[in-house]
Amino acid sequence: MYIDSFQALADPTRRRIIEALQHGEQPVGELVGQAGIRQSGVSRHLRILSAAGFVSMRTAGQRHLYALRPEPFRELDAWLAHYRSLWDARLDRFGAALEKRQRRSAGRRSRP
Amino acid sequence: MSQKIVIERSYRAQLAELWDLWTTKEGFESWWGPEGFRVEVRTLEARAGGRLEYTMIAEGAAQIAAMKHMGQPLAQAARARFGELRKDERLTLICLIDFFPGVEPYETTVAVDFRSAGASSTMVITLEPMHSEQFTHMARAGWASQLGKLDRRFAQST
Repeated sequence: MYIDSFQALADPTRRRIIEALQHGEQPVGELVGQAGIRQSGVSRHLRILSAAGFVSMRTAGQRHLYALRPEPFRELDAWLAHYRSLWDARLDRFGAALEKRQRRSAGRRSRP
Repeated sequence: MSQKIVIERSYRAQLAELWDLWTTKEGFESWWGPEGFRVEVRTLEARAGGRLEYTMIAEGAAQIAAMKHMGQPLAQAARARFGELRKDERLTLICLIDFFPGVEPYETTVAVDFRSAGASSTMVITLEPMHSEQFTHMARAGWASQLGKLDRRFAQST
């Protein structure tokens, strides 16, 4: 799952497609204008995004409509939240180390 | 989609006290951690472009067991360097991530901005843990199934 997410987001064109889809469901034709490459290229990137679970497709008459799926974004958010929590713990230690130093220097000052 | 994490913390302390914890051997060793690990600084050159080289040593029983379980040595060398260094204002620490087997070494940056307001001082820490380049590196090495391990090592290295 993650291996696909990382690869999927590593490409700038795919990130542009994801940004375009943040405004809602769209057909390939609309995405071509926003991605800045030809339709065959957009279709290829959509297949990769779809395989990684970022994008879903439905058919409405003659048109294929693409939309974002929330699941992989939630997983990436969870990963980032965990990374953040590691830093929160590290900064708790920073605060504790700071207090220890302050107590030590206060002790030195109060000594006769 | 390079995601940044910004963490802000305030302490009842002078800016110089905060600064010392980042830029002196004793200060850095006193908190960098992570939990259950001791840090021994070998080189700390507090100037722009200066080296910061240290060893992380597993100390807690759980951490020692975890490192053994992963087949990792209990002591691991880590390297970083200071990018910017403006006393009591801003520093950036560029950490070299060079310990993933089969992954090209890459760098990750921690930026710290300092400011004071009355008796308290604030640090704003900006982390960029997931550059798209890193996505590719991690993906190529197949770290997907080992996120726990990845997180643990990130914690040691950044």
